[in-house]
Amino acid sequence: MFGRSRGWVGGQGKTKNIHSLDHLKHVYNVLTKNTTVTDHNRNLLVETIRSITEILIWGDQNDSSVFDFFLEKNMFAFFLNILRQKSGRYVCVQLLQTLNILFENISHETSLYYLLSNNHVNSIIVHKFDFSDEEIMAYYISFLKTLSLKLNNHTVHFFYNEHTNDFALYTEAIKFFNHPESMVRIAVRTITLNVYKVDNQHMLHYIRDKTAVPYFSNLVWFIGSHVIELDKCVQTDEEHKNRGKLSDLVAEHLDHLHYLNDILIINCEFLNDVLTDHLLNRLFLPLYVYSLVTPETSEDRKINPQVSLYLLSQVFLIIHYRPLVSALADVILNGDLSVFTPQTDLHKITASAGGVRRFTKPPESLERSLELSRHRGRKRTQKRPNYKNLGEDEDEDRAGGGAGSGGGGGVQEGWDDDGRGGEREGGREREKGKGTEGGGGGGSSKASKASGETAEEIEMVVMEKCKVPELTEQNITDEEKTAAATRTHAQRSRPFLDMVYSALDCSNDDYHALFVLCLLYAVSHSQGINRDLLERLQLPVPEQERSSYSLVLVERLIRVMSQAAQPDGRVRLATLELSCLLLKQSVLSGNQCIIKDVHLACLEGAREESLHLLRRFYKGEEIFLDMFEDEYRSMTSKPLNVEYLMMDASVLLPPTGTPLTGIDFVKRLPCGDVEKTRRAIRVFFMLRALSLQLQGEPETQLPLTRPEDLIKTDDVLDLNNSDLIACMVVSKDGGQAQRFLAVDVYQMSLVEPESKRLGWGVVKFAGLLQDMQVSGVEDDSRALNIVIHKPSSNPHAKPLPILQANFIFADHIRCIIAKQRLAKGRIQARRMKMQRIAALLDLPVQPGASEVLGFGQTANASPSGLPFRFYEQSRRAPNDPTANRSVFASVDKVPGFAVAHCVSQHSPSPLSSPSPPSSGSGSTGRCDSVTASTISAQSPTDDGTFLEHAPPSSSGVDGDGGGGGAALAPSAPSTPVLAPSLTPASQPTISLLTDNHTDALSVESLTLLPPADPPHMHPCASYVPATHCLQRPDASITEEDEKAERGDEEPQEEDSLTMDETETDATVKEENTTMELITPTEEGPEMAEGNEQEGDGDAAAGADEQGGDSLTAGESAEAEDAEQHPGETLDSPELD
Amino acid sequence: MAYAYLFKYIIIGDTGVGKSCLLLQFTDKRFQPVHDLTIGVEFGARMITIDGKQIKLQIWDTAGQESFRSITRSYYRGAAGALLVYDITRRDTFNHLTTWLEDARQHSNSNMVIMLIGNKSDLESRREVKKEEGEAFAREHGLIFMETSAKTASNVEEAFINTAKEIYEKIQEGVFDINNEANGIKIGPQHPTTNSTLPGSQGGQQAGGGCC
Repeated sequence: MFGRSRGWVGGQGKTKNIHSLDHLKHVYNVLTKNTTVTDHNRNLLVETIRSITEILIWGDQNDSSVFDFFLEKNMFAFFLNILRQKSGRYVCVQLLQTLNILFENISHETSLYYLLSNNHVNSIIVHKFDFSDEEIMAYYISFLKTLSLKLNNHTVHFFYNEHTNDFALYTEAIKFFNHPESMVRIAVRTITLNVYKVDNQHMLHYIRDKTAVPYFSNLVWFIGSHVIELDKCVQTDEEHKNRGKLSDLVAEHLDHLHYLNDILIINCEFLNDVLTDHLLNRLFLPLYVYSLVTPETSEDRKINPQVSLYLLSQVFLIIHYRPLVSALADVILNGDLSVFTPQTDLHKITASAGGVRRFTKPPESLERSLELSRHRGRKRTQKRPNYKNLGEDEDEDRAGGGAGSGGGGGVQEGWDDDGRGGEREGGREREKGKGTEGGGGGGSSKASKASGETAEEIEMVVMEKCKVPELTEQNITDEEKTAAATRTHAQRSRPFLDMVYSALDCSNDDYHALFVLCLLYAVSHSQGINRDLLERLQLPVPEQERSSYSLVLVERLIRVMSQAAQPDGRVRLATLELSCLLLKQSVLSGNQCIIKDVHLACLEGAREESLHLLRRFYKGEEIFLDMFEDEYRSMTSKPLNVEYLMMDASVLLPPTGTPLTGIDFVKRLPCGDVEKTRRAIRVFFMLRALSLQLQGEPETQLPLTRPEDLIKTDDVLDLNNSDLIACMVVSKDGGQAQRFLAVDVYQMSLVEPESKRLGWGVVKFAGLLQDMQVSGVEDDSRALNIVIHKPSSNPHAKPLPILQANFIFADHIRCIIAKQRLAKGRIQARRMKMQRIAALLDLPVQPGASEVLGFGQTANASPSGLPFRFYEQSRRAPNDPTANRSVFASVDKVPGFAVAHCVSQHSPSPLSSPSPPSSGSGSTGRCDSVTASTISAQSPTDDGTFLEHAPPSSSGVDGDGGGGGAALAPSAPSTPVLAPSLTPASQPTISLLTDNHTDALSVESLTLLPPADPPHMHPCASYVPATHCLQRPDASITEEDEKAERGDEEPQEEDSLTMDETETDATVKEENTTMELITPTEEGPEMAEGNEQEGDGDAAAGADEQGGDSLTAGESAEAEDAEQHPGETLDSPELD
Repeated sequence: MAYAYLFKYIIIGDTGVGKSCLLLQFTDKRFQPVHDLTIGVEFGARMITIDGKQIKLQIWDTAGQESFRSITRSYYRGAAGALLVYDITRRDTFNHLTTWLEDARQHSNSNMVIMLIGNKSDLESRREVKKEEGEAFAREHGLIFMETSAKTASNVEEAFINTAKEIYEKIQEGVFDINNEANGIKIGPQHPTTNSTLPGSQGGQQAGGGCC
């Protein structure tokens, strides 16, 4: 658009040297001849101004005489002169752009000083442009921004005039702080931040005294208005239609918070004091915090508690300024409603707030406030102003010369409307703090004076207001602390904290709970919050040594987990993950876990629930395996980021289940069977991981495929006696290589002979069989097309093939063999993993487990006869660095079971405690239809050891049986088996309470019940008889019962067994026929070993633990017995 | 000065890659790039024509404000397009692209069109980043790519206009919510522009701008 005016000046005639002093002189002449802007010379003037810029910049870089001339002729005055005429938009824009370019490109400080001298720039800044024109507005604000970027301790004097108390750059800029155009607002913020950054005390005093209160109060009001709009948006939402707008408003709020934080971290102390005061008392407390407790109808201006929790979480996640967040946290965690009531209580500083904490609109626009304050400033320039006596006339009258806290009220009054001035004045925060002795109200001038005398000028007491006199004890023991925490909790009213805790209830939904968890997380991670405060309330402080934790919180967290594990649980995965995080934070102190046994028991109960939940979804389908592994990957690869979570506006709307909203899976409820399955898998993983970590046990079974166990490229393997098929591998891009194909348990690999050792091979490629697709090649009977996809944690990403090649074999027979081997290997690899999942879930293993790849398994006995396997370090080359890492030390394990078996040695945790059913005694009869009849024959002999390690997941009976109360009826006469959280209150918790007080659940958690026999729990003789025998301190007693029961159970089992069998994969069956004969011999040693280990170990403890995990209070030993064949009894419905 | 749409752009990239020069070069061609004079500017606006529609581009340079998190955040959010600039003669500016892009993706709305620009293509002799590398990076991250020179004005026009075209197409597809100004798009004061007259005059202006 400037193009039209080209060539007016200098133009064609003088092209030689546009950049020269001479040319500037020429241009100057043009200026002098055109002092009046007309339609005719407009273009000429614009071009003149433009070329002056160009010459000046050239001069700055090349010839300083240019600047001398510019100054000498006072050419800026011409600019002003042009501006002041009604010169129109075109000229204005050009001028502003010229100035922008000028200030942006000047590199020499002296040049800059030249330009800034004479105050011309300030005259331009205060010039009333036509700001309704968006282009002028944009150029103008950019001009101010460019100037602000040039601010430093020296240049600030050109803008800030100490004598006249003028700082046009700043005051003009902040007038646009709420401009509708976002880019303008951003520029204003940049300017303010650039100003605050300059370390000039006089200037900063001016900012604080003359502008801070008006600006911050308006800013706070502006933010609050956005918050209310946001809340309205949430309230009026229907069917998630407001999501777009909501996410803008949330982003806006985040912008505000980041801006506030940017100001606060500049750390200009006295500015921060004013800002903190305003934020706390005019926004955060009255609007956010107060909304937590106000009943729905009470006040017109309030926001929903969930919105307020959400916003408070953001506050704590973003702002870390200690005085602010400490005070805010203190009110939330420790304060009561007196914070908001105007009362005069000499003892409670907190209470003397005099009704100030209001979210009210500033009575005047910022512009007007600034104007007023300017006039006042002029009037009283003599008086050293500070923001407290920043003055009103009446204020001065009343408070006299007292530059004390009375002035604080005055500030308020000055721009508050008259109607409520008195009330507000009384409540000025700093006044209140200081005026405690004076009666706190501060409403009278006397009080103001009195306190004013003692008050120091600048010191802010905002922070003190929330200090609670009680609870200052130091050096108290943890018991005392715990006691104190409960005591004070009972005595002292903490409505906010109460609200926060009670919002953790997820029985209907976890709408509020998620925000509460975020808030607690944010508070506990905030660097600005007093550790003492958190410790006093025993809130989780990450990475801190401690020996006690908040019982209330932990119990509620566990309840969330337990609710998450319910079939109809309305707990989202994000909520669960956060609960786990917070729980870990609460009870892990350094490397130690200080969780009480009761709580651990409750947690184990929840974990067990999740196990049962997952069993309901366990299917023998291929897709289950893929989902299982995929969920594990996405869980571990994408841990929850709370900050991101709290940036997402979608969680602000009530939790929904449909993926059509585009809401991330973890942030909504599952939709449909597949998602329900995924959710159950996740819940299981999370609770399992939590349980293991709290008990200090390593995870040995997950992921199902650990990268370190796999054969990798360049591994050297002993392939003697392995089946190898030579082939030519033709990759998709045309590369060819001669390789030997070898198929292992989980992987296929392509090897080439190792040159040094005969019979050994170097792996050139290894890929998972389970992710492989094999297909024939149409016109070549000797060739196979093989594609192996990379398992990806991102379900949306296109599957990436890691191998895509044709394998060409010597003849079609070998081709068929290879194809069969690969196809079978794939099935077997998958099946084996499914079996490991089943083992994880304490489910019976499907038949065919031991048939690996159709290799001659009979050769198992001698290691030399084994196919090479990844976990056999003895088969790895000695130079293989991965070999030593393997935890599977022994060679003679059955493939696929080695892992599980190994676990049974290391971790007595209930999940892994039985050597997987397949390798235990169950292998003889549990799964194979053919041998099913042997159960009865076998069980007597087995019983002794069998019982010790059989999966005792009795509560699974009802879970799996689909509300199988029937199955339980005989076994659990005293109490119906319910989820721990659902069990009625007539539970042994009472006896626990008497048993050991500190170990007990707090009273309010009566509904949260531990399973009857938590590990390490002291036997409670009082209720054991009533519930038959819960734990089995001595197996011998129960054994008889069990045997007796067994007889009853057996027929059922067989029935379901046969059903079970018929449902399973037909192909499996076929293969099994050969294997079944082998099975016993194969597994015999293994089984024995497993049993032995279990038996050798502390049998009672083992039983204890298993029982503790799975049994709820009312269950009897018979129930356990039933569980020993959980699969048979329970799973047939699932497999349908 | 009526326009159908206003698009807000931001320019991002390391300091010294020539962002403000690109901006000035695009918005005001009268400042001729001369070898002994580098001039840039932090804000500029210009009218262009796409598909017979007047479109105003407002370009905001974020230079010098990186130290404030709130500022960068807000800038990203308010823009419909971003030019991500690196200097082909400085390898490090190319290496930092990932960081810039992450920032942009994190803070911007998901529809923001990002154009990758390798600037200073006139300095072929000092080139450290191959054109292919820029292309590959762009392909990998779904960006449009172009090498430009603010000095010779090569491709500068195209860079800005192609970005605008992309945004315009997204509007036509209904991807952008044009009623939401937070996206960096604004509908002009008189939306049904009289297409017959305005493009003509605009064309004239552009021609005038381009002839230098």
